[in-house]
Amino acid sequence: MEQFINITLDLLVGFGETLKIFFVTLAFSLPLGLIIAFGSMSKFKPLAAITRAFVWVIRGTPLMLQLIAVYYGPGLIFGQMLLKATTAVYITFSINYACYFSEIYRGGIESIAKGQYEAGQVLGMTKSETFFKVILLQVVKRILAPMSNEVITLVKDTSLARVVTYYELIYFAQRYIKNAGLLWPLFYTAIYYLVFTALLTFFFGWLEKKLDYFKA
Amino acid sequence: MKILEIKNLRKRFGDIEVLKGIDLSLKKGEVLSIIGSSGGGKTTLLRCLNFLEKANSGEIIVAGETVYSANEGEKPVMSPEAQLSFGLVFQQFNLFPQYNVIENLMLAPKLRAKRQKNGESLDDIRARAEKLLATVGLTEKATAYPCQLSGGQQQRVAIARALMLSPDILCFDEPTSSLDPELTGEVLRVIRSLKDSERTMIIVTHEMEFARNVSDRVIFISDGIIEEEGTPEEVFSSPRSEKLRAFLSAGEK
Repeated sequence: MEQFINITLDLLVGFGETLKIFFVTLAFSLPLGLIIAFGSMSKFKPLAAITRAFVWVIRGTPLMLQLIAVYYGPGLIFGQMLLKATTAVYITFSINYACYFSEIYRGGIESIAKGQYEAGQVLGMTKSETFFKVILLQVVKRILAPMSNEVITLVKDTSLARVVTYYELIYFAQRYIKNAGLLWPLFYTAIYYLVFTALLTFFFGWLEKKLDYFKA
Repeated sequence: MKILEIKNLRKRFGDIEVLKGIDLSLKKGEVLSIIGSSGGGKTTLLRCLNFLEKANSGEIIVAGETVYSANEGEKPVMSPEAQLSFGLVFQQFNLFPQYNVIENLMLAPKLRAKRQKNGESLDDIRARAEKLLATVGLTEKATAYPCQLSGGQQQRVAIARALMLSPDILCFDEPTSSLDPELTGEVLRVIRSLKDSERTMIIVTHEMEFARNVSDRVIFISDGIIEEEGTPEEVFSSPRSEKLRAFLSAGEK
């Protein structure tokens, strides 16, 4: 029993490391995704083309490969590591998720009726006022379901960080195989992921209800 | 006094010329109805006046000041006051769904006040909004959301919202075309009640009876030009052109 409690607490520390990736990635990728979305919708064709090509590369290659490239790449090219594992993980995850988010945003933004922009314009509102005061909340309401999918995927993708020596939950559990011959902690980690995704599911459900007062 | 003058306004979409030189002037307080078949250019004219489309050439002059001028192949020149000289009520209402009725009215004036030094106070904006809601008969719906209103009520809110910016000229783009027949009456009554010596209105409409009753002047647009123009009596009772006669008799069937 004591062993169970100790391992539970130890894994909780590992899960804390997992959560760091999760929250830092969201903090950067949610706004960055909006910038990328604007880039890919730009009327300035070269910018739109470059942005879309970038999104294609990021979405078209494995996150694990990107992690390795960002962490070990500078070492291979310049003969010297530039980034700490933590920094490399944050950067790679943020950019990777921003690209996925940008496509969800773009779909949401393009689905809003032209009349909403036109109403803003004829009422003398600036383009940014119209976007932030009128369009954005309608977009949020529409993209909630695909966003919750991505966010839940992120919870589990964090386990990839260990390939660049970032010690997160799965790594913590695997140590028990090597050091104590215990296999069960590895499977026990599933509970942590499940509980956390349950919380996220509740949160998104609550948000959806919160925005239920209007139709868009 | 002329509140509005339009000179030789032209608009092309690709190779298709939709407005082929529109000349028009309006006196303050005048109500103008624009009739004509779909695709004739009525709505495009209204959209050019509200700068939702940029006319390729021509001039728009409000109260003696040129607010928009364009020459073929050049970048149009638009004055900062141009946009708010005109107000527009859309066929599809286009209320902001996440805001309740009074917030829909107050949003744009609030943002404008924030942009200006010594802008209008929030209390003044609210007082004006409440007064306009009373004008359109929706005082008790102030805190309702657009999705809780009928089409007719939504359109009355949209009218009040446009009036909040006190435009020199208020335009209506087929304001009853997306309403059930039993709801058109309330909207038309509100528009009629707005008519006074100060308020200049341009109404694109398919409601011939309404155009006849409410307008001081009617123009018939066909193939991008003003085919016929006159008092409601002249246009509806003694149409001169073949096209207008055909248009009016088609509507009676």
